[in-house]
Amino acid sequence: MAVLEEPIKGVPLVRNYINGEWVESKGEIKDVVNPAKYETIGKVPISTRDEIDEAVKAAQEAFPDWRRTTPVARARYLFRLKELLEENFEEVSRVQTQEHGKTIDESRGETRRGIENVEVACGIPTLQMGYNLEDIAAGIDEYLVRVPLGVFGIIGPFNFPFMIPLWSAPYAVATGNCVVVKPSSEDPFSQLKIVELVEEAGFPPGVWNVVNGGRVVVTGMLEHPGIEGIAFVGSTPTMKYIYQKCGETGKRVIAQGGAKNFMVIMPDCDVRATVAAMMTSFFGNTGQRCLSGANLLVVGDDKFYTSFMDKVAEATSNIVIGYGLDESVQMGPLRDTEKKQRILGYIESGLKEGARLRLDGRKFEIRGDYPDTCFLGPSIFENVTPGMKIAREEIFGPVMSVLRAKSLDEAIDVVNDCEFGNGHAIFTSSGKSAREFQYRVVSGNVGINIGIVAPMAFFPFSGMKDSFLGILHTQGQEAVRFFTESKVVIQRWF
Amino acid sequence: MRLQTASSVISLARELEGESAKFYEDLAQRFAEGEDTFLSFAKENRKYIVQIERAYYGVITDAIEGCFAFDIESDDYAIETALAEKTGYSDALSQAIEMEETVVKFYTDAAEQSKSLMADVPRAFMLIVRKRNDRLAKLRSL
Repeated sequence: MAVLEEPIKGVPLVRNYINGEWVESKGEIKDVVNPAKYETIGKVPISTRDEIDEAVKAAQEAFPDWRRTTPVARARYLFRLKELLEENFEEVSRVQTQEHGKTIDESRGETRRGIENVEVACGIPTLQMGYNLEDIAAGIDEYLVRVPLGVFGIIGPFNFPFMIPLWSAPYAVATGNCVVVKPSSEDPFSQLKIVELVEEAGFPPGVWNVVNGGRVVVTGMLEHPGIEGIAFVGSTPTMKYIYQKCGETGKRVIAQGGAKNFMVIMPDCDVRATVAAMMTSFFGNTGQRCLSGANLLVVGDDKFYTSFMDKVAEATSNIVIGYGLDESVQMGPLRDTEKKQRILGYIESGLKEGARLRLDGRKFEIRGDYPDTCFLGPSIFENVTPGMKIAREEIFGPVMSVLRAKSLDEAIDVVNDCEFGNGHAIFTSSGKSAREFQYRVVSGNVGINIGIVAPMAFFPFSGMKDSFLGILHTQGQEAVRFFTESKVVIQRWF
Repeated sequence: MRLQTASSVISLARELEGESAKFYEDLAQRFAEGEDTFLSFAKENRKYIVQIERAYYGVITDAIEGCFAFDIESDDYAIETALAEKTGYSDALSQAIEMEETVVKFYTDAAEQSKSLMADVPRAFMLIVRKRNDRLAKLRSL
């Protein structure tokens, strides 16, 4: 099958977008690497503190006018952005594959999910409405309006370089705020493409800014008195740091962290559909997502276990690995060599702790002529116990740890012992089991016969325990609430 | 080649529609008695491509099993679209019928495999199956 054309040509330098201008950073320059080919495809700046200050200043200056722009007019900017994203759907999808490594199906899926958030935010004239009650006392009325706050910082992770900033940014600007987005420096081209379309859509200067970089930019956002709040998605340790810093500086925050999701398999599940769901859950995006399955917890006797695991192992061993722009490929590379080394460390750890490596992802074939530098095959560990490191810690790679339970009760106990609560799921044909699971499991997102429990744009992306800190979430109504303050007015006329 | 991803199956559908459209355009040029019918088939084929792509791009998300929803052997659905120089009208119709049967089988199999995994795509496939079955009836009546 032919490899699709790559959209990023040459080795372009990513620039910052501040106050409606493309600005070259004064910071040091880092390579952006296509992990499938292990070649440099671009350069990204690690911007300075001054540059984040400049972006925040521009956003602060743009805020008063943008706030006064009517919600209907703000929605029209978003409608234009949505149209431009649709027109550029294929290109932005290929950019994601080229810079991140995921398959083209996964990139197109990511693009669709991102656009859906823009679509939902287009409903802001309705979403931002307040409420009122007349005659709360004689001749006195009371009403609530949702007002924007100013400037928000949005910090995106490497694993969904296009979609995740769109969980927040469209709602922030739709409600009348201005944003400064910091994309992951590992794959900054997706956000670059979005902001090119933001510019084309005609957003006023300063409303939507992008500053590339790393820790200095993040710290600059966290410490800047002009930033009212932060929306962050990343690892749990960083999530805790962000939450703490936002507490210290009085910022509101959405902080989404890591996960260790359990897929609980009941003996009455639809085996064919469940096995397919396991493939995408554990190995989709090469395991690099906070909603990936990590622990497969099989309930039932030896006969069911053996039969189910034989099918899982067979399907896993047939996964086609290669460059995501080849449409026949089912799993791409990891984002970089450091991540691969980290996962290899977990495989060693599993072996040391006595788990059985049924499928060794260190041995694999790549479709096409690509270096194996960032590639790793899917692994399956059996005989895993809940105390093992591979069952407790987030591996963030294509490694399935298989545990067993005698009953649903035992399975729920094992799941709830986990430190994370992001996207646990059950596979069953029993409504009773499903209801019991969703009721008792401590997880922000719960799947019933769904392997990737990704809430749609009109629902919040939830999370519990070490997977989330904050109160309100990204996406939908909750994002609108996060990016606005409730102003309550009590009025009386003499 | 074994196709397991949604994008590769969509590409195969695109290829089948494109090739069969060209085939009908060729028939229309060579057989005046069926020109209008063949041209309308070619036009429909191009519309089917749009419908399939719209369904796919509309529902492909990272939450569904896009990379694992199919198990299609593309060689099983190879179609013969080249017409020999001396092919008569009746043989050409037989070739068209054979081609349509193969394409119907492709869409039916692909829809069946993906019906619980791919949201609107199997429905789009089955809609084309229905229309193509009507087309088969028409071809057989010519």
